[in-house]
Amino acid sequence: MSKPNDLVQGTLDLLLLKILALEPLHGWAISLRLRSVSQDVLQVSEGSLYPALHKLEQEGWISAEWKQTENNRRAKFYSLTTLGRKQLDSEAANWQRLSAAISRVIQLSEV
Amino acid sequence: MRIEHWSFTIPLRLRSLFRRDRLEQELDEELQFHLDHKIEEGIARGLSPKEARYRALRAMDGLTQRKEEIRDTRRIHWLTDFVDDVRYAVRSLRRTPGLTALVAVTLALGIGFTSTSFSGVDALIFRPYPVPHPGGVLSLVSTARDSNYDPFSYREFLDIRAHTRSFDGVIAHTAPGTVGFAADPADPPHPRTGMMVSGNYFRVLGVEPRLGRGFRDDEDQVPGRDAVVVLATDFWKNEFAADPAIVGRTVRLNGRNFAVIGVLPESFPGMGVFINPDFYVPLAMAPAFSTDPRKHFFEDRDDRELSLKARLRAGVTRSAAQNDLVLLAKGFARDYPELNRNRSAAVRTHFEMLTRTDTDASPWKFMVITGILALAVLLVACTNVAGLLLSRARSRTREIAVRLAMGAGRFRIVRLLLTESLIFACLGGIGGLAVAYANLRFFSSFTIPAELPSKAPFHMDTRVAVACLLLSLASALLCGLAPALQSTSPDLLHGLKAADVDVPGRKRLWGRNVLVVVQVSTSLMLLMAAFLMVRGFNRGLAEGTPFLKDRLLLVRFDPRLAQYSEAQTQHFYRRLTERVRLAPGVLGAALTQNPPLALEKFDSVTFVPDGFEMPRDRENFTSTMDTVDEGYFDTMGVPIVRGRRFLASDTADAPRVAIVNEQFAKHYWPGADPVGKRIRLEKRGGVPVEVVGVAETIKYRSPSEKAIDFVYLPLAQHPVPRMVLLTRTSGDPLQWVQPVKEVVRSLDPNLPMLQTRSYDDLYRYNAVDGPGAATRMVGALGAVGLLMALAGLYGLVAYNVSRRTREIGIRMALGAAPADVLRLVMGKGLKLVAIGTAVGLLMGFGVERLLKSGLFNTGGVDMLVYVVVVPSMVVVTMLAAYVPARKAARIAPTQALRYE
Repeated sequence: MSKPNDLVQGTLDLLLLKILALEPLHGWAISLRLRSVSQDVLQVSEGSLYPALHKLEQEGWISAEWKQTENNRRAKFYSLTTLGRKQLDSEAANWQRLSAAISRVIQLSEV
Repeated sequence: MRIEHWSFTIPLRLRSLFRRDRLEQELDEELQFHLDHKIEEGIARGLSPKEARYRALRAMDGLTQRKEEIRDTRRIHWLTDFVDDVRYAVRSLRRTPGLTALVAVTLALGIGFTSTSFSGVDALIFRPYPVPHPGGVLSLVSTARDSNYDPFSYREFLDIRAHTRSFDGVIAHTAPGTVGFAADPADPPHPRTGMMVSGNYFRVLGVEPRLGRGFRDDEDQVPGRDAVVVLATDFWKNEFAADPAIVGRTVRLNGRNFAVIGVLPESFPGMGVFINPDFYVPLAMAPAFSTDPRKHFFEDRDDRELSLKARLRAGVTRSAAQNDLVLLAKGFARDYPELNRNRSAAVRTHFEMLTRTDTDASPWKFMVITGILALAVLLVACTNVAGLLLSRARSRTREIAVRLAMGAGRFRIVRLLLTESLIFACLGGIGGLAVAYANLRFFSSFTIPAELPSKAPFHMDTRVAVACLLLSLASALLCGLAPALQSTSPDLLHGLKAADVDVPGRKRLWGRNVLVVVQVSTSLMLLMAAFLMVRGFNRGLAEGTPFLKDRLLLVRFDPRLAQYSEAQTQHFYRRLTERVRLAPGVLGAALTQNPPLALEKFDSVTFVPDGFEMPRDRENFTSTMDTVDEGYFDTMGVPIVRGRRFLASDTADAPRVAIVNEQFAKHYWPGADPVGKRIRLEKRGGVPVEVVGVAETIKYRSPSEKAIDFVYLPLAQHPVPRMVLLTRTSGDPLQWVQPVKEVVRSLDPNLPMLQTRSYDDLYRYNAVDGPGAATRMVGALGAVGLLMALAGLYGLVAYNVSRRTREIGIRMALGAAPADVLRLVMGKGLKLVAIGTAVGLLMGFGVERLLKSGLFNTGGVDMLVYVVVVPSMVVVTMLAAYVPARKAARIAPTQALRYE
């Protein structure tokens, strides 16, 4: 199964950190948010979402807490830790540098 | 950053480890929550509930795999896998308790014996000095043509200390010696161990006293001025009950008052291996202690009594230090050619000093040989375990094949199998510690009956425990890896088809056959070694100890301890023997410097034999000697084979006489009658001494020594201060201690009796118990090796039988008799025994050579070894093959055919 819109390797972490930096969310809400903010361009396979979240949790970048949702179900809410904030900053800076560099290369006019 | 990171992650990992069920439940709930929403969404879009559910699961790309992926993110799977492996391994080992016990015991014996000899080798060769930076401490030795480890004289020490540039300090000490000690000047003196050291001794070694101070450098400058003493910790505890106010107290040493200035720390038991001093005094106090009375310690450049050690200066190489020292020695030879003929000097490491080869039957050699044999046992143990594991793994071929087919990685299964051998190794390691502990207890239970209390330096310490651990791990790998790799080779088809098949080709069986051959041959070698050692010791004892051993009381004296002059000493000894002879029940009394096989070093005499053509490059010879009085040969029972004994008429004024042993006579006057020949002391033209008798050659230093040259000189003509009184009694010699004590008291109440024991006691230790313990250890190694070989062989044949049960059934159904089956099954085992025996014989032959060159000096091939050991080995191994084979021959064909 080809996935033309597969995420650039490693950027899923960045996206998840960024989304959680805005507000604590549970997994389902994160997947909805990913879809809506990227206007369906970035399709994260739901299968790889949870391993990624658990990895971030084990790294200590996000922490999880069981809370009630608005319709009274128990859900696992993830939120950014201070460590995760630092990680987000450095990864975001990295990404900016990288994408800026790539844009410059692409915009080179052919002679 | 790292630490901050851990503060987050460590609680998480712990949680993953210990709240596993809870985490699993939360994971399910979390994913279920997601799926529910996804399904709702699908239904809202108009899908049927079933379709919506299907799509939701599809979107997950396999729920189970994802869960597994998530579990992996917890970073503890290696641990949980390991725990699972251990659990699984334990379960499967418990299914075969017999095999497990066999393997564990095998490994325990192998590891235990190897650790024991490691402890011995460590204590005798490898253990560093108990001082800071022990590697920098080197020994300086004077060398001559026949000796490479000579001490230096006081004058030479001063010169070396003043002129060498390679060292951060040169220290000197005497050999530990007996000192008459009294805690209170009013008490009678007791013999204790003292040692004289240079003033810088503790400072250069880096030893800080726990109480008081060490010596000052200036305390060894003026002879006899500074009567100060530093105590060893153990001595302080035993003798003074660890009195904290000891510093400043006065004790009496050899009749002189000494002030206690310090107590050494617990960490410094002393620099010796076997003997360590109870207390230390400065070199300058030498006049109060036992130095050679015929020489002047502070003046004579050839009164070589000081061992030198030095700390290498930073940045100086050993060879530079060596050159430095040799240059100084050349200076000595130039300035004092008479005293330094053929003499040089050398720098030696601790290791080199411990592995010196100039002494007969050095204990370290024995330990190294035992260590090699113990390693051989461990090797047998490992091959045995490897063999057992191999057969186990092969009977699990199908199980492993199924696992591989289900997608388990090969590495994963190798890990599982290695975990099993690791468990064996742990069991073996624990057992090994116990075995080593028991062995060491056994060895240190010997008290060495020397005059100075000495300890067998073997004990359980961290070094031994670590060795044990490393050996266990190594053996786990050694015996587990090969079977694990072999049984997981990716040959699924064969594995799945049958429960237990022989994969085409004989390669695998070949490996097992080699194992059995190795076992049979190694244990044969071990048995031969054990047998040879027992026989070697016994023969040495039978041949060289014709003298009388029981009903002999030994008392050692050193009248110098009571400040006797030479004349007083000789007078004392004359009166002593006269009076003891008169005591009731005494059959004879005599004096000797050192009875045979009594653990003390013999003196040596330098001489030129008349009528012997000296080699061009030699000026004289040296021989071991003893000084005895006229009653010695009768009392000790040493046979005189020619000529006469010493007589009371051989006085100091009479012509000088000597008695030599047969070996000496054969050496210097082969074929001629030695009686009437002369030797000259020291040099050509020296004092002539006439040989008046020839004594039988006996064992002097150890029961396994070669026949050595030996000279006896009469006490009256060769006065020596330290002598042993031998009293032949009509009953238990210890009954005569009191009468002898009364005689001594009547002569001088202040003269200590240094060493009082029955000769039997001493002889038993030195010639019977000590070597006996050693041979018992090697014998145990041999027995363990044999046991293992038997288990290995039994295992092989039994395994073959079980593998061929079906075939046997068919053969029997077709009419084969049980005898045919027996022959079929046993044939293989016997062939291996034959090969193993042949190889073992060759190895045994090599070991015989090694033992004879290293430990015993018995010549010729010991035929009895081959006649006794080899056939019994063959018979026993055949039995090991017979038992399982017979079982095979008794199988009912119907049963065998149904056998899987």
